[in-house]
Amino acid sequence: MTRRPEDPVLRSSRREAIVVLLMWLGALAYTVTYCYLFGYNRSFESLKFVWGFPDWVFWGIIAPWSVCLVLSYLFATFFMRDEDLGEDPEEETNAGGTGEVTDA
Amino acid sequence: MPESGGAGTLVALIIFMAASVWLGTLAQRVVERSSFVKGYFLGNRGLGAWAVALTATVQSGGTFMGFPSLVYSHGWVVALWIAGYMVVPITAFGIFGKRLAQLSRRTGAITVPDLIRERFGSPTAGLTASLLILFFMSAMMVAQFKAGAIVMQISWPGTESLALSEDPQIANQRAYLIGLTIFTLIVVGYTLIGGFLAAVWTDLFQSVMMLIGVVILLVLALPPGGIEQATRQAVDNLGPGGDAFAFGPGYSKDGRQFLPVGLAFSFFFMWVFGGLGSPAGMVRVMACKNTESLRKSIYLLSIYNAFIYIPLVIICISARVMMPALAKPDEVIPRMALRTTADLWGGSFVAGLILSAPFGAVMATVSTYLVVIASGLVRDIYQRFINPTASERRIRWISYSMMVVVGLIAVGANIKPVDYLQAIVVFSGTCAGATFVVPAFMAAFWRRATAGGVMAAMLAGVTAVLGLYVAGWTWTWRGYDQGIGVAGTFRPYFLLGLDPIVWGLAVSLIAGIVGSIFTKPVDSERVSLFFDAQPAEYAQSSSVSAS
Repeated sequence: MTRRPEDPVLRSSRREAIVVLLMWLGALAYTVTYCYLFGYNRSFESLKFVWGFPDWVFWGIIAPWSVCLVLSYLFATFFMRDEDLGEDPEEETNAGGTGEVTDA
Repeated sequence: MPESGGAGTLVALIIFMAASVWLGTLAQRVVERSSFVKGYFLGNRGLGAWAVALTATVQSGGTFMGFPSLVYSHGWVVALWIAGYMVVPITAFGIFGKRLAQLSRRTGAITVPDLIRERFGSPTAGLTASLLILFFMSAMMVAQFKAGAIVMQISWPGTESLALSEDPQIANQRAYLIGLTIFTLIVVGYTLIGGFLAAVWTDLFQSVMMLIGVVILLVLALPPGGIEQATRQAVDNLGPGGDAFAFGPGYSKDGRQFLPVGLAFSFFFMWVFGGLGSPAGMVRVMACKNTESLRKSIYLLSIYNAFIYIPLVIICISARVMMPALAKPDEVIPRMALRTTADLWGGSFVAGLILSAPFGAVMATVSTYLVVIASGLVRDIYQRFINPTASERRIRWISYSMMVVVGLIAVGANIKPVDYLQAIVVFSGTCAGATFVVPAFMAAFWRRATAGGVMAAMLAGVTAVLGLYVAGWTWTWRGYDQGIGVAGTFRPYFLLGLDPIVWGLAVSLIAGIVGSIFTKPVDSERVSLFFDAQPAEYAQSSSVSAS
């Protein structure tokens, strides 16, 4: 049997999943590292405020949060593809699926 | 300072309840338009962007209300504790949302166990998933009933407590029992009428009300000198050691480290994968109308989260200055609501709106769990193992009866209420994340994943989390304390300073891979159905061929 081409939803989902996981990793690495370096064990005298937020909160959390907001919008609008998700097998059945699956 | 919610709260509560019942009846009309099971337990796969965005990931009422008290107690570091939410929207719908929605259609799956069973061709894997879900969800739901009853109780005239505080003794037993009865009747009632959609719509409604409440409170709570001034004053008020209020690992009277860096790291896993692995959330993604709803949900939820979590941090930092010595930090939001609206025209109603938000959240959560538990019992147990050929009429009655029975059990379990509500919620959420995230990845993206592998992943994940919790309880019981994290007696053992969710996910991943490599692959026809483009003739109604 010749192998059929890959499902298009699988292909686009995988690509999107990789991008999202990288973004999660980036946010995690940046935020935790930045906050650890600049937000832990400091004296209050050294603290500056940016728009009312302590400097480390602003640059370590508020700024990346805003970047994520913009990236999420761009991802959802321009990168993530619309696809046909398909239909349920049989509308009238209440059992769904096949009801005949057995352990191999 | 006013000491109880008064008429405004009662009015707001009644509006919440009336709106929920009304939404339940609306939902019922939609259910009637399709086959019962798909309509009642999955809303006929018709959820739009708003419903998916605001109901698939928002944590339970209990968890949500715990967050403000943490900010009040520990200071700015809680912004880091919650920071993982910046990527929750995109991870919730961008990782395997599309694939789950597609696979559930291709298999006709209504529940998460349905999906696992069909994808791997294994009833045993499906049953394992159902039993695990029933276990987590039941624990969570019982805990939520207590929260609901307590919120009812605080709106009672003359009581002086204001929030979901966890007093071991509930002051007014009679008010508590009446609260419990009314709460149960309303929630079981509207959920029974409208099923899944009733749960989703009330959840959506309360999420919107919560947002309105938080934004109003933000405007009212901002101190004249801004939050910089509030932070300076809070640090001053706290005296020696007060510096910690502005930094990590956070302020504690007794020097406890609330958020050492290992836990800050862990919470990026907790919020993202705990939400992703929640069976209730997965079902809502399966029920989305199309990929457009999923896409739009990403930015709707991004905006929602930014407007909820960051303002709540600001409000609670201000609260530390306006009310420096709250005996019960759990009451910070209701007390702020009462205080800031006291001189306002219609202030009592605004306060009532904010006070009743946790009630709405708890109702929505209970309703969600009721649907998941009932669908598990009906779909994964009754239809699979007891009566596979049951008529639609019979299934309908069994579903209704299950909801009533589950409601009665929850009431029974709450006559003498459980302690540690918040801890049970966090524990069950962690378990669900560690159990279902890796299996969902395997189902969605890995051809070679097997039924044996997916079972190994589920069982290893839950075992790791349970093990760390049992170790933590044993330690606490013997008087040891690691001195990190939230104080309390129901805490896990933080191996290498990391939360159990990280270990659970890691163990689950390894078990899933090893388990799959050493067990028999799923037959190629079944794999092809889920991973390969379907020939044109299947395109309209692709269906699973069983053997």
